[in-house]
Amino acid sequence: MTNEFPFEISPMFEGERVRKDDMYVELAGPKSKGFELVRSVDPDESINPVDDGKFTLIGPDIADMEEGGRYPLAMIYRISGELVEGDLESIVERRNHDFQNYIQGVMHLNQRYDIWLRISKEAVNKGLDTLEHIARATMMLFKSELPFIENIEAIYITDMAEVEKELDDAFAIYEARDERTRDLHDEDVDTFYGCTLCQSFAPTNVCVITPDRVALCGAINWFDGRAAAKVDPEGPQFPIEKGEVIDEFSGEYSGVNEKAKSLSSGEYERIKLHSFFEYPHTSCGCFEVVGFYIPEVDGIGWIDRDFLGNAPNGLPFSTMAGQTGGGKQVAGFLGVGISYFRSPKFIQADGGWDRVVWMPKHLKDKVRDSIPEDIVDKLPTEEEATDINSLESFLKDKNHPIIERWESEEEEGEGEVEDTSGMTQTQSPATGYQYQQNAGLVPPSQMNAPQPSYNNSSSGVKISFKNAKISIDKLIIRKKE
Amino acid sequence: MTRVIAITGKGGTGKTAITTLLIKYLQNSNNTTLAVDADPDTNLPETLGSEDERTVGDVREFMLNERDNLPPDSNKESILESKLFEVINEMSGYDLLVMGRPEGPGCYCYINNLLRGILDRLIENYDLAILDTAAGLEHFSRKLIHDIDDLIVVTDGSRRGLRTAERIRDLVDELETKVSNVYVIANKVNESNKETLEKTAKELGLELIGTVPQDEEIAEMDLTGSPLFEISDNSAAFNEMKKIAARLKI
Repeated sequence: MTNEFPFEISPMFEGERVRKDDMYVELAGPKSKGFELVRSVDPDESINPVDDGKFTLIGPDIADMEEGGRYPLAMIYRISGELVEGDLESIVERRNHDFQNYIQGVMHLNQRYDIWLRISKEAVNKGLDTLEHIARATMMLFKSELPFIENIEAIYITDMAEVEKELDDAFAIYEARDERTRDLHDEDVDTFYGCTLCQSFAPTNVCVITPDRVALCGAINWFDGRAAAKVDPEGPQFPIEKGEVIDEFSGEYSGVNEKAKSLSSGEYERIKLHSFFEYPHTSCGCFEVVGFYIPEVDGIGWIDRDFLGNAPNGLPFSTMAGQTGGGKQVAGFLGVGISYFRSPKFIQADGGWDRVVWMPKHLKDKVRDSIPEDIVDKLPTEEEATDINSLESFLKDKNHPIIERWESEEEEGEGEVEDTSGMTQTQSPATGYQYQQNAGLVPPSQMNAPQPSYNNSSSGVKISFKNAKISIDKLIIRKKE
Repeated sequence: MTRVIAITGKGGTGKTAITTLLIKYLQNSNNTTLAVDADPDTNLPETLGSEDERTVGDVREFMLNERDNLPPDSNKESILESKLFEVINEMSGYDLLVMGRPEGPGCYCYINNLLRGILDRLIENYDLAILDTAAGLEHFSRKLIHDIDDLIVVTDGSRRGLRTAERIRDLVDELETKVSNVYVIANKVNESNKETLEKTAKELGLELIGTVPQDEEIAEMDLTGSPLFEISDNSAAFNEMKKIAARLKI
């Protein structure tokens, strides 16, 4: 079948680079213009249906091009079929890159409006003198590899004015597609992806990448995971079947839990994807931002790698990152990728943005658009709060939603736990840190939660701390037999 | 199969000069050659006479900075590959790729993982890849480029220089990178130390494949700031390089 073309077609030509010295012509690329676009057409379209196998060229063909020259190129494919729908356009479009690279002597790079092609002198000498050969070979591959495409036609444009004219429409189509893609959430898919790139230094790390949760390093989103797992199923990124939904709100799934167990060699059995306190995601060491619980205000602060100062708790990123990293599940600390702040499910199990009480200014500016309007001005940075006292008073002044928690805690706890801020402040930062690790990691709300029941029963306990300094090596509480 | 030749040595020994002479020799050979400047100091473009300043480091930073602005479902490997091809400087008779600045803070696991695959495939396009690399062999320990056929250690004419060569040879054994042959080229050699050098190399079990003489033309070019690549074809240094290339069978 491939005999009809003056070139060989095989995946072995992928990665073939056409060097400048060997190049007959360059199409599109960083120094010219162009794009590739797939449009789905309704099979019942009567005015302009897909004319299967048709090739149209607007502008000069290879034979008319000057050797060593550079020309723009737009490649538009119109497809139709019973199963063809708009959502498939981008998936089909991306295969153009693969298929054209199968052609010996053709180099195709990048995608969308960044495409860059070169055709080798050797290929032209062997008879590749018209773009029609390339278009027909590509269309043939589209139909054989993606059988849901019943009809396909190609329109190639090499005339600059025509390319520019079409480019605006193409931009609008890409934009609309991205809009739809961003609207994909955890509940819309059956498969998440995992990544083990960090396991070399964080052996128990379980990185779960979902539409609403980017990898901790920020580099891999759900689509990247999907693409990588498909290309190299044995590679560092692989699919995780969601399995049963245990709790959608906090993000707990049976499939994720199973994978957590096997990836951490039994260290962790449960992971809640959108939880900060209970079975949080493990933290590798690559994370861009670390979240830390601030017991004095019962809120969560965030500090990123680029912020060199101390957070209101007196600690810099490096110290907290050291505490968090290594692939551990650490209640009270959580490593995340910056894009997780843009997730609609951002730590929703623990109150989402209402629970966030501090972040560095440049980080806040970066994610400003994703911060709910009623919080954005109430969220202090290093400019407003540098220690616990200034943090507390800023939150109070601005009536940050965290205040409501303080009020409800006071009701619940009847003021039994008092002046916790005094506890840390009387200590050096180092011991204060110890305190946070051991006792402070459990938020007061959870510490207090069982209290009412104790108070109501006749044999209950009542504990009051005032300006206490406590250090405990080990504490065992057992039910009385 | 591409033959990968890495040239290393302490700063100041003239490894970039040796690399330049080798590439000059290869420019007119039948081999397709990729020259890679893997030394963060980035001196090779200057001695080759390239004014292109773009590096793989720039591409890495671009990917890190632009990451969240790219279409969410874009194929990052394909974008990275294209960006990498953009920074290949297509010189006459060979291509030049500059690795550039070392990584900043932040996580490069994912990008480096993609880069590994792309560089592997890129190198396969050439008959020869010539790497000018720092003595620490950083890019090899990160496995960005693996499997070296010939590692050439450049030393100056001193005994201490040969000791360094010995240390680098031993370091190679600790790398996960496969290195088939280790050779030594002594640079800035004069008649008085040539014999002793050859003797010491033998004692240390180092395979000395060339002694490049101190060449006044090189010193002069250095002073006037003209690229070493333009050294005359019959200069003493370039003549020695022709012999070295023959010994390396290239």
